[in-house]
Amino acid sequence: MDVQSNNFIPAARIAIRDPQLQAALHASSTNSTRARAESLFAFGREHGEHMREQAAEAKRRALRQLPDLLERAEARMQANGMRVLWAEDAAEARRLVLDVIERHGARRIVKSKSTLTEEIDLNTALEDGGLDVLETDLGAYIVQIAGEHPSHIVGPALHMSKDTIRDLFVRELAMPPTDDAEQMTQFVRERLRQAFLGADLGICGGNFLIAETGSLCLSTNEGNGRMVTTLPRVLVALVGIEKVIESVDDFTTLAQMLARSNNGQVMTVYTQMIDGPRRPGETDGPEEIYVILVDNGRSRIYGTGYAEALACIRCGACLNACPVYQAAGGHAYGWIYSGPIGAVITPLLAGLEHATPLPYASSLCGKCRDICPVRIDLPRMLLDLRHDLVTRGHSPALWSLGLHGWAAVSGAARLFSLARRGLRWGLRLVPNRLPGPLDGWTRYRDLPPAAPQSFYELWQERQKTRDHE
Amino acid sequence: MVPVDDRSGAALRARFASEAEKLGCAVHIVESAAQGIQQVLDLLGGDPAILSWDFEHIPLTGLAAALDEAGIRRVAGDPAVRVGITGVDAGLAGTGSLVLTTGAGKPRLASLLPPVHIAILETGRIVPHFEAWAEQQRANGAHLDAGGTIVLIGGPSRTGDIANIPVRGVHGPGAVHIIIV
Repeated sequence: MDVQSNNFIPAARIAIRDPQLQAALHASSTNSTRARAESLFAFGREHGEHMREQAAEAKRRALRQLPDLLERAEARMQANGMRVLWAEDAAEARRLVLDVIERHGARRIVKSKSTLTEEIDLNTALEDGGLDVLETDLGAYIVQIAGEHPSHIVGPALHMSKDTIRDLFVRELAMPPTDDAEQMTQFVRERLRQAFLGADLGICGGNFLIAETGSLCLSTNEGNGRMVTTLPRVLVALVGIEKVIESVDDFTTLAQMLARSNNGQVMTVYTQMIDGPRRPGETDGPEEIYVILVDNGRSRIYGTGYAEALACIRCGACLNACPVYQAAGGHAYGWIYSGPIGAVITPLLAGLEHATPLPYASSLCGKCRDICPVRIDLPRMLLDLRHDLVTRGHSPALWSLGLHGWAAVSGAARLFSLARRGLRWGLRLVPNRLPGPLDGWTRYRDLPPAAPQSFYELWQERQKTRDHE
Repeated sequence: MVPVDDRSGAALRARFASEAEKLGCAVHIVESAAQGIQQVLDLLGGDPAILSWDFEHIPLTGLAAALDEAGIRRVAGDPAVRVGITGVDAGLAGTGSLVLTTGAGKPRLASLLPPVHIAILETGRIVPHFEAWAEQQRANGAHLDAGGTIVLIGGPSRTGDIANIPVRGVHGPGAVHIIIV
């Protein structure tokens, strides 16, 4: 999808007035955040914090040795019979997938949810190539049928109510009308079951890639991830290069942190380590596995002060905790990554000029940093991005003018004193709302009356009295 | 990672059972293979066919003969079959997870395709947690990537994708029975 993040403010303004979206956001955010705390701190605060520390250290250690670990992972995967391909950008990744599809003559493709494939707009490329592509995660399937984009990295259809989904299924799939979520799910199960059995190629992402063993790791709940990686003859996995970790021990830590931080599960229902294609004597499993390691801007970020953003394990906790996400929802952010992590990586991946409002889509309350399973300092990076916006001339003209004016006035004592007095008189003349573009400050709050004397004047007076004593 | 203090066999089994039940599994503890086989037959009801691992990988001696006698056939990859029966490579007490590895005679579909999964677990295969399992594999000199695929199963397949309403049995089994021998 095109990056539409520069529309954040108007899009958020509409989202805030959508009662159905607000109800959905409120319910899911509070549920997830509560479940996360209960599960993470089930053995006490100290234990939970210790787990976070371990997870943060595992990802930091992986990032420090990223190039080496990628080479080790590649060697292990090849030794285990998987084919490893490298894609520098989205176009190359799409081309590699299409090449594999063509080589195997595949027509019917089933997908397990992958944010990276959304990032590189893979489905559009496949559909343009005349291929049948079916998302099989329930949320991703709902969003695909609706012709929309996911609004949350973990819960793609989180913005939709049960009624909306029911109406969609009845309209698009001729589902017999029902209000029961279980019956709706069963209906989808039956439909997708046929698709799984008839598919000739599966596409999945990867939550982690273990350098020690060359394991492609997937954490899923519904079972569609296992179907996609078991039934079709060929499996293609697209994995961001930042997903590589050092060892199985790190995986044991991170797999548990991922599930706990997402929705409070101790582990996802299915935690898979895929170590190669079907072996001799086996009757199922893919005969060929391709792993495409995708850069698409990540190595550029690696060399900057924003490298720690690459530690993200996509658990969604910062979205659920963020007051801005809770009000604006995912779509307002204008691309696939939303919430605090989206506000940081969208400008980094898509270009700052395509996402100028996002670094400001935060009150800097710090909840995202406090909840992050790998302790990413998101507020620090949001501030740094604001700094970049100013130095690269992307801040609004009036804002720059105002700040330059302020710098000039406050840097000269006489000018400052003059302005102070002028302002006090000026404030007596205006009502409790500021005029023109300054109205933003006073639209929802009264302008406080100016004190009869400023602190500076009071101080000077006191000094004078003292001198007399 | 999850604290498991008492590591005696009985304590691990009790912890595993309680954690697996929290995840929505039905846990049946049996004292003998005969009792285990009876449990399997009860769960099968009148089903004519099952998906399953090779019986040498399922720790219930006599199961093959008992199924034969009851006229229950073992088929491969049939999506219409209601029950899949597998052994278990390890049970993780701290999280109630089943560790299943792949290999000849251990089809993946047996624990995936049918709506009901019956897993037969030997008490001696219960370890404290995921970390302990990895450590044990290394200590035994086993390569952690020697199997084709390792899957940890934590209860029935589930989703909350429709308005956060929890639903079991999306694509994987909606019911998981664990028989501990």
